Amino acid sequence: MKRTIMTTAVAGISLVALTACGGAAPAPESDSANDSSGGETLTIWNWGDADEAAAAYTEDVTAAFAEEHPDVEVEIVNQPFDQYYTLLGSAVEAGTGPDLALYNGGTQLKSRADSLVPVTEELADLQDQLAGWPAFEKDGETYSAPTFLQGFPIYFNKALFESAGLDPAAPPATWDELSAACEQILANTDASCFALGNKEGLGIEFFLSGFGSGVFTPEEYDAWIDGERDWTSDHATQILQMWADSSADGWYNDGANSTAMFNDSFDIFSAGDSAMVVALMSGTAHWKQFDEFLGDDLGFMMPVTANDGTSIALPAEGGIGYGILNEDKKDLGVDWIRASVDHDALAAYSLAGGQITSDTTIELDTDIASANEIVAELPGSKPLLHTALSAEALDLLHRLGQQLLNGDVTVDEAAAKLAAAEG
Amino acid sequence: MSNLATATRTLVTGRRGDGDARSPRPAGRRRPWTFERLTPYLMVLPVIAILAVFRLYPLVLGINFSFTGDGELNGQFIGLDNYAYLLQDERFQASARNVVVVLLFVPIQVFFAGILATFIYLKVPGHRFYRSVYFLPVVLSPIIIGAIFNIILAANGPLNGALSTINIPSVDWLGLPETALPTVLVVHIWATFGMAFTIFLAGFATLDAQLLDAAKIDGANLWQQIVHVIVPSLSQTIQFVFVTTTIGMLTGLFALLYTMTAGGPGAASYLPEFLIWKLNGESRPALASAASVFLLAIVLIIGLIQIRVLRRATKEA
Repeated sequence: MKRTIMTTAVAGISLVALTACGGAAPAPESDSANDSSGGETLTIWNWGDADEAAAAYTEDVTAAFAEEHPDVEVEIVNQPFDQYYTLLGSAVEAGTGPDLALYNGGTQLKSRADSLVPVTEELADLQDQLAGWPAFEKDGETYSAPTFLQGFPIYFNKALFESAGLDPAAPPATWDELSAACEQILANTDASCFALGNKEGLGIEFFLSGFGSGVFTPEEYDAWIDGERDWTSDHATQILQMWADSSADGWYNDGANSTAMFNDSFDIFSAGDSAMVVALMSGTAHWKQFDEFLGDDLGFMMPVTANDGTSIALPAEGGIGYGILNEDKKDLGVDWIRASVDHDALAAYSLAGGQITSDTTIELDTDIASANEIVAELPGSKPLLHTALSAEALDLLHRLGQQLLNGDVTVDEAAAKLAAAEG
Repeated sequence: MSNLATATRTLVTGRRGDGDARSPRPAGRRRPWTFERLTPYLMVLPVIAILAVFRLYPLVLGINFSFTGDGELNGQFIGLDNYAYLLQDERFQASARNVVVVLLFVPIQVFFAGILATFIYLKVPGHRFYRSVYFLPVVLSPIIIGAIFNIILAANGPLNGALSTINIPSVDWLGLPETALPTVLVVHIWATFGMAFTIFLAGFATLDAQLLDAAKIDGANLWQQIVHVIVPSLSQTIQFVFVTTTIGMLTGLFALLYTMTAGGPGAASYLPEFLIWKLNGESRPALASAASVFLLAIVLIIGLIQIRVLRRATKEA
């Protein structure tokens, strides 16, 4: 028996020696960049089309691109979203990556900017036509064009406001007014003040970015986006405290920590069981979805002012856009990016899919009031605070968000942990 | 190779090592490698090769990866840094603590399955019906079970509704650090005890019915029948169920955790398997490899302890 163990151990150790020190992720192949053949194909990765509207948009973009390059064969590869960046990272490192890939703006694109081809000059003429560029810029270089915008508007239920004795035409504008409104809603209706699903810990992201502009001064806000964050500062701890207080004061539906955000919490709002929700403006959980349930009762409000010297802004930035990975096909890639922000394609998609597009020249032809109000606030919008955080810091924030909600950690402890994690 | 073959032979024949096997041979002379002597090795070669290529090699590769870095340090040897990082990582500490909680639930599942199988064996009224009902959850996918119990256990779900009718305050079972993991474990027991239950029933098939009849004639009550006749006769089955239940608990909880708590609140319901998946999703495959090695070590140690207990019990039988 002992000899068997010894032999196995020796065999194991020699195998380890044999494998030397390969990495867990595939190593890059040096000559992969020159590998692209002269054949006119363009390989593009994305995470597929969520619905018919998205599929129609992809068709429109492909058609717009084909007009410019009828001979180029476009191969679109759909990858599962939950594994998307892992698969993409491995493929890029192994030298088998696509020519172009779809990226979320903010952290996801910026942390991978090293592998992308800058297209600042090539897209310069689009600068004025599109909004949401900062999410696709790093160190002064632009890596993609935003196709549509993502952000965290606050929606409210006008009918519930009325039954609570509040004026739906004048939603709360300060934190104190919001607190008073919540008290009134809780006292006079059966609904919760806010719908919240925090099972995955996403709630605090929506809270931080949703209310950030009313808490941080413009200087602090810009510094935060630029990476100069102090979690132990007065205003950073204040927003953590506001999050903890909102739970302690009973603003949320029962069992927020065991409710999934997508889509259980948004269903609570759609069903009229909560008066307000911090949700999205594009993709899902947006004005078009809520309108189907609430109709004219759907209202939109801006973040509330918590501190003097702040400047309220709609939290929104470029949602997704294509980045070029293959330097050799840069020209084709640029034309694909241009096709992805094609005026007609975006205009058709915005209404069919419930998207707020990046193209400011598109007039959203809808009578859904909240959508038009969101579009009106876009010129003064500011990037999202949470997408500036690293993946590790975000995961910690998710866990602390749940613990703050339960009262399992104090605000100071949470701030100290975040400060330590951010270095 | 020859050691592996010897080990297999030892397992099959129950003989204890090389001394016995060699004794008929004249000492000091080596037998020639005839075709007849090579044949058994050639026959097991495909299996050994498959095991080595698809099991052992990836395992060794994984251990090797755990000594390398992630991101910019990809492929570089960083020694035990990943392990040092894990030991001070909040999520790893939580998942290590939670392994202990999981192990505490193993006897509960074994007891639960054993006592229900006993009732069926003793032919309580409706035993045929219950025999099918108890096995039913085993054929359900854990994802579906998770979705069902998400609804049942919701803060304003039917369970809390039922509790409130008897004036017990509602509990957010999956949203509190104290209750999240135990609740998932109870659901896991509900979902999987049918398999252990079936193994127990199979064990009962080998039980000597005359012994039980004799005990009944001697006036033993139900409890005495269980303690003095059934449990001793089933000792081997009980050991087997213990080992399989432990392995099931340590490596089969991912789907339920993923659907029911997502590791939360905080890191209250993290288990090593879930952590490995999370770390890989954060583009840190080398760190995930180190966590996998820890999980392997835990399963190995617990498995070895149980095999030792099993062997001792077999000797007594």
